[in-house]
Amino acid sequence: MNNSLISIKNLVKYFPIKKGVFRSTVGWIKAVDKISFDIYNGETLGLVGESGCGKSTTALTILRLEEPTSGEIFFQGENISSINKKQMRKYRKDLQIIFQDPYSSLDPRMKIKNIIAEGLAAHNLLDSRTRVQKVGELLERVGIPPDYMDRFPHEFSGGQRQRIGIARALALNPKMIICDEAVSALDVSIRSQIINLFKELQSEFNLTYLFIAHDLSVIKYISDRVAVMYLGKIVEIAPKDIFFKNTLHPYAIALVSAVPVPNPDFKRKRILLPGDVPSPANPPKGCRFHPRCQKVMEICSQVEPELKKLDKDHYVSCHLY
Amino acid sequence: MNRIIRKLLNNTASLIGLLLLLVFILIAVFAPYLAPPLFPDPYQIPRMSWDVEPQPPGFPMSDDMRFVYESLGKPITRDKAIFGTAQGGYDIFYGLIWGTRTAFRIGIITVTLSMLIGVILGSLSAYFGGWLDELLMRITDIFLSIPFLVAAMVLTTILGRGLDKVMIALVAFGWMGYARVIRGSILSTKEEVYVMAAKALGVKDFRIIAFHLLPNTIFPVLVQASMNIGSMVVTAAALSFLGVGAPLGYADWGQMVSFARNWIIGSPGKAGEYWYAVFFPGIFIVLFVLSWNLVGDTLRDILDPRLRGEL
Amino acid sequence: MENKNRDKVLEVKNLKTYFFTEDGIVKAVDGVDFEVYQGETLGLVGESGCGKSVTAFSILKLLDYPGKTVEGQILFKEDDLLKKSEEQMRKIRGKEIAMIFQEPMTSLNPVFTIGFQIAESLKVHYKMSNLEARKKVIELLEKVGIPIPEQRVDEYPHQLSGGMRQRAMIAMALACDPVLLIADEPTTSLDVTIQAQILELMKTLLKQFNSSLIMITHDLGVIAEIADRIAVMYAGKIVEYTDTRSIFFSPLHPYTFGLLTSIPRLDMEMEKLESIPGVVPDPLHFPEGCKFHPRCGFATERCRKEEPSLLEIENGHIVRCWQVDRVREEAKKIAFTRRLAVVE
Repeated sequence: MNNSLISIKNLVKYFPIKKGVFRSTVGWIKAVDKISFDIYNGETLGLVGESGCGKSTTALTILRLEEPTSGEIFFQGENISSINKKQMRKYRKDLQIIFQDPYSSLDPRMKIKNIIAEGLAAHNLLDSRTRVQKVGELLERVGIPPDYMDRFPHEFSGGQRQRIGIARALALNPKMIICDEAVSALDVSIRSQIINLFKELQSEFNLTYLFIAHDLSVIKYISDRVAVMYLGKIVEIAPKDIFFKNTLHPYAIALVSAVPVPNPDFKRKRILLPGDVPSPANPPKGCRFHPRCQKVMEICSQVEPELKKLDKDHYVSCHLY
Repeated sequence: MNRIIRKLLNNTASLIGLLLLLVFILIAVFAPYLAPPLFPDPYQIPRMSWDVEPQPPGFPMSDDMRFVYESLGKPITRDKAIFGTAQGGYDIFYGLIWGTRTAFRIGIITVTLSMLIGVILGSLSAYFGGWLDELLMRITDIFLSIPFLVAAMVLTTILGRGLDKVMIALVAFGWMGYARVIRGSILSTKEEVYVMAAKALGVKDFRIIAFHLLPNTIFPVLVQASMNIGSMVVTAAALSFLGVGAPLGYADWGQMVSFARNWIIGSPGKAGEYWYAVFFPGIFIVLFVLSWNLVGDTLRDILDPRLRGEL
Repeated sequence: MENKNRDKVLEVKNLKTYFFTEDGIVKAVDGVDFEVYQGETLGLVGESGCGKSVTAFSILKLLDYPGKTVEGQILFKEDDLLKKSEEQMRKIRGKEIAMIFQEPMTSLNPVFTIGFQIAESLKVHYKMSNLEARKKVIELLEKVGIPIPEQRVDEYPHQLSGGMRQRAMIAMALACDPVLLIADEPTTSLDVTIQAQILELMKTLLKQFNSSLIMITHDLGVIAEIADRIAVMYAGKIVEYTDTRSIFFSPLHPYTFGLLTSIPRLDMEMEKLESIPGVVPDPLHFPEGCKFHPRCGFATERCRKEEPSLLEIENGHIVRCWQVDRVREEAKKIAFTRRLAVVE
């Protein structure tokens, strides 16, 4: 694809498990295990999965906040997976992130003016007066009165803090923003405000989003394409409409069926997965989902399925297809 | 801010601590008026007589001493030792008043320097981790494994007698606690999401340490430091007591106590005859340490994370 | 309604629980009335700070200073819990009314085995011997779907996954066959697929034990699945109180209506999410009049000045709003399409 903003090839991130007096490595947590996908210019890719599936690690690794164990990350065609810290700084302006917890993501001892201007200061952009002006514009844009810029984070509610986090990310005019569970911690009535804000900003600033969430209803609303992760692997990727009309991977099907729907008359067949997600330190052989899968076959416990292209843009990693 | 002041004034203990500290500061500032010096070096304690034995409060200056001081050309405004004299006729009152300045100097300088060393080493160690952390922490462990007082004694013996040498020894063996504390809190703070956010913005490492990590971790260290000021003074006094501290006749509380060493028990049949030689220096040291501890407690209350939201 | 014939298990009348903080009085729960019938599930829904959890804690009298229940009645089997001594309450807690908490990791004691912790209430309330209690615990663990219960009974909380811990919590709550269960966001910290497991389990067990449940949650999807009736809370008060289908298909309070149109959902296509403007009001400075009026699209002069009281608008549909008729009209438009969206 030539309109890929980000292209990930065989990305792997293992965390060592250290034990004993000498902190020797006794194993690896395979948080992200050889995943490949593209994020197209201007789209929102929704990445969904349960806790521990590696979706946040994927985000942090793309931003090089975690060093990839192997694999390549291309940003606008340039490989940013092995460049050094200094070279990476230049790309930080283009790649931003918004975190889940609006409380811990803002330094409690900094005025929000300085929080938002921090990126500008780090890259020596604008002089101090224009910086303040820019901070004011950003605050205005995300829906916070600019004259609050001398306040501290604790003077704001969760939703407002998330807006401040968004302003901080926007300050550097990024091309892409990764939203790592950015609306999960917010109250219901605030969540839709923020989701709508994301949508507005996307068209206004021509942003590309990697939208990470565990809530499929949010993903369904905001994404153009959906990727489902399970135990460090991508099991299915498809454009949103195709995904929800024709979910293929047994895990994705179970996930969709498990989402609570605010409609007491909504009847559907719910697939209850047996047991728990296995530990990423010791994932099952073959297909990682096979011990919980209802449609498990002989081959599933032996051979790990590849992510296959089924239709136009519909990829699934399952032996059934 | 009002809330903090209200909180301070409502708490008796913190109020006492602050008042005591204020008194000591006033004593230090007004030392030249409270006890006008007779020697060109104000820290030289004037002697009231040549007596070896301590003399009780109210003891007047002997004539031959008066003659000596008059020849130095300074007006003699106080000719009675109101707290008595220590061994060798040294004026206890004078020694304590000017010793307050010494105490502040020892406390603040040693604590500031050791805190600085500790904070720098600890934050580098925690932030960069890896072999640097290993190296710095092993060095810290080595320093920690040496008994503080013994080490300080050996070092002062090597360097020679003198207050500056005592301070060097105190700093050299006093920074490890700070390094440990700051390392611990930076290790947890650097996992905070806002640090991650700063990295994602491309903020440089040293800026992250200075603008995010230290402001959020320094307060427990400050609390510890304020409490340590008192104990540093006690240690310095202990070194003086053991004879490796300040030079003879220098206004220093430890020295005043050490003067009392031979007279603590009193003479046969008259237990506690020389009580004043121990009591006055002792009470100064105790109150000084107490004031810093109370202030430290107060600081901790104020900086308590539960109250931080209201700061 | 059919409830009229059933036994009331719990009746909360004009409950007021305030927090006496340094900055002033926080009216966390300010005049709440509801009842729970035998075998039914009542959902308490609202956003953080609306007072739903404080209501639960007040029922069990688990609040410490600065929180205090200042007024009201909590009639449990026609006995006012607020008049009971701590000693009497201890006999009720765990035995008659049991609670399931949100965070299964922190609500289980890490230093005891789960078997020991579940057995504790059996030993206290039924004076069971160790052996008897152990047998009963294994039985309970099996009922809540924990595999190999004979082995799990001797494990510590950290050895269990989040879902398993929540099952253990449920086993603990059910140990003494309580008449009433109070679950405070029991599935919020769980993954979606695990949440589905737990919800199914709770539904089955409720039928089996014929217990009543007060389900506290902010998740409208969860509540739609499990509740028979729902009370929506806002700023310490109930704003709408009726059966589940009426809440979802013909909401009469603007807040409920706003919530329903602002959540993304799987059962229907939505062009744009509506949103409720503004933030939840600071409990120290509640607005005058209706507490929702600054965020309400239907607000009029009257709403700004006069606080509406809870009125039964339709049969069993209780609402605290001056603008019910306008909300009903507005909701009809959307509710219609919503019914159509129910396909599968």
